[in-house]
Amino acid sequence: MSQSATIFNDPPRSYPQLIATYGFLPNLFRAQSTIPRAIEAEERLIDTVVVCQGRLSRGHKDAILNGVATVRGSDYCRALFGHSLAAVPDRNFALFDFSLKLAKHGPWVSGRDVLTLKNSGFDERAILEAIVTTGVGLMLCTLADGLRPRLDTELRSPAPAELLNVPDPLDWPKASGVHLAFSSDSAVDSPAFAVLREQFGYVPNLYRLQSAVPELLDAEVQLLDSVLFPEYGLNRVQKECVLLAISAANLNTYCATLHSQALHILGVPLEESDRIVEDHDQSGISGTDRTLLDETRKLASLPGRSSQRFEPERLRKQGFTERQIVEAVVVSGLANFLNTLQAGVGATADFPPRKIFGPKDLYLFSDRSRPISDATFPEDPDAALVARVRDGDIDVFEELVRRHSRRVFGTLAGLLGNIDDAHDATQEVFLKAFENIGRFQGRSKFSTWLTSIAINAGTDFRRQRRPLESLDETQDDEGFRPRQVQKWADDPERLLAASQMNGLVREAVLRLPEKYRVAVLLRDINQLSTEEAAAVLELSVPALKARVLRGRLMLRESLAPHFVRQDKTDA
Amino acid sequence: MLSCADFLAEFGDYIDDTASSDLRAHLEEHLRECKTCRVIVDSTRKTIDIVTESGCFTLPAEAVDPIVSAVMSRIRQRTT
Repeated sequence: MSQSATIFNDPPRSYPQLIATYGFLPNLFRAQSTIPRAIEAEERLIDTVVVCQGRLSRGHKDAILNGVATVRGSDYCRALFGHSLAAVPDRNFALFDFSLKLAKHGPWVSGRDVLTLKNSGFDERAILEAIVTTGVGLMLCTLADGLRPRLDTELRSPAPAELLNVPDPLDWPKASGVHLAFSSDSAVDSPAFAVLREQFGYVPNLYRLQSAVPELLDAEVQLLDSVLFPEYGLNRVQKECVLLAISAANLNTYCATLHSQALHILGVPLEESDRIVEDHDQSGISGTDRTLLDETRKLASLPGRSSQRFEPERLRKQGFTERQIVEAVVVSGLANFLNTLQAGVGATADFPPRKIFGPKDLYLFSDRSRPISDATFPEDPDAALVARVRDGDIDVFEELVRRHSRRVFGTLAGLLGNIDDAHDATQEVFLKAFENIGRFQGRSKFSTWLTSIAINAGTDFRRQRRPLESLDETQDDEGFRPRQVQKWADDPERLLAASQMNGLVREAVLRLPEKYRVAVLLRDINQLSTEEAAAVLELSVPALKARVLRGRLMLRESLAPHFVRQDKTDA
Repeated sequence: MLSCADFLAEFGDYIDDTASSDLRAHLEEHLRECKTCRVIVDSTRKTIDIVTESGCFTLPAEAVDPIVSAVMSRIRQRTT
């Protein structure tokens, strides 16, 4: 890749245009004055997406922007967007709900959501406008989170409560694919495509899909050309690492794949990108860059508003200049914009993904534990030890390993079916727990959190060895019905020696399809409560119960021939 | 009265003793009439007991110390 190839040579007229848009020059843009090109590119995107008349009215777009700022918890943006509202926004349209889902639960948006909108009468252009408006809203909220500008105007009202409760999504989309496409052959020779080819070596599908909307494509490429490609402050590798880390935190398989490849072209091995995706602390990047990713990852748009705020002071201590810190925030805003755009339009990966994200991956990237009520759990007996480890008393971790090694091993042995692998994986789970203990917020029991790590580690371990039998995919077991209906002996445990019994149960458990096996492991072998097991597997309680019951019935079927009563006495 | 299929779809909470009183009443009404489902409930309970008590994936006590030592040694190595 070469240095930036600027194709847009307009003079810096963004301030007057911003004043025309908002009625004043918002502090959010003043705070970026060290990077005037970024301000220009942002202004152009805002003008193209929000100000210019399209299928959606300005009122509809302002309503979406307000909704995004509300679910994101950005008071600054609520005040900013509210200021530009001509009237009370119309929230009673399906695109508004779609945009809120995209803003809060982007990875859960599916082709079905888009199809529902089409069936409701919205054309593809209107849907695209809603998607891009949501992306712009999230980008500006990210900038406000990182730069913390003073409010331009007072907030006129508290956040509308009904918007703060966007329902949690139920199902992870089973299929990835294109939701919307505006491809045009005439764009092949466009200047925007030329820039993309020069920088990436090809035109990524995300941009190719928008080729029939040249004004939007140009605005997006200007943003890349002004924020990502130049190497005045942060270098390109650092910026691509930020894009990769945030895409991973946002569970965006497409964008993580794209930026891994971009780093590869810049000389960063794919394996190094894999480590950044999994846990940048374990990658080979410098301590300075780890801090950069620590902080920018906090600006990721998932899971909603992070409880940990971006801390520019940590970056200053590492020697980053003020300009570089602003640039880090702007690149983070770009990452959230691109992730949102991709989640909405659904571009398919340009290369085979190194990792396909699922809801389980939310866990390690989140600074909070799973979204379950504190009241679900009794007081955590490990809380005091965990607090001491978090305060730096490393030796105390030994007691936590001692307390939980058998449970973790049991989970992994049941998942992997191999004792040696389970031994190795157990060590890795505790190391990972130690490294991430700063992110454990105590909203579940420590043991539950640890079990989640074990499930993720075991699943990854299996993935490395053979094609994965997904925990989430529906398997062809709908026809399962109990066939063994003879009465069992009164005391089946006495029929076999303990070692025989262990072998029998072990084989039966390992024969279960993985999704039922894991459910049974957590409930009946690890003795987790239904709620804890559901939280670990990120299932609803009814879904977890259904899997446990099916798993138990399948086990019963396997064990029955060994335990049926030999006499024919009736029940 | 519930069919056997309905019973089999619903009896998880009954086994875990967390069924509501209404559901319990419906399930028990079915059980009084259905020998097959009685057998399935009884053998499923025994299955759970066997699996829970088998210790088939339990780490032997003597294997705990080596794991603790290995983990702590790797942590101390990384933090020094």
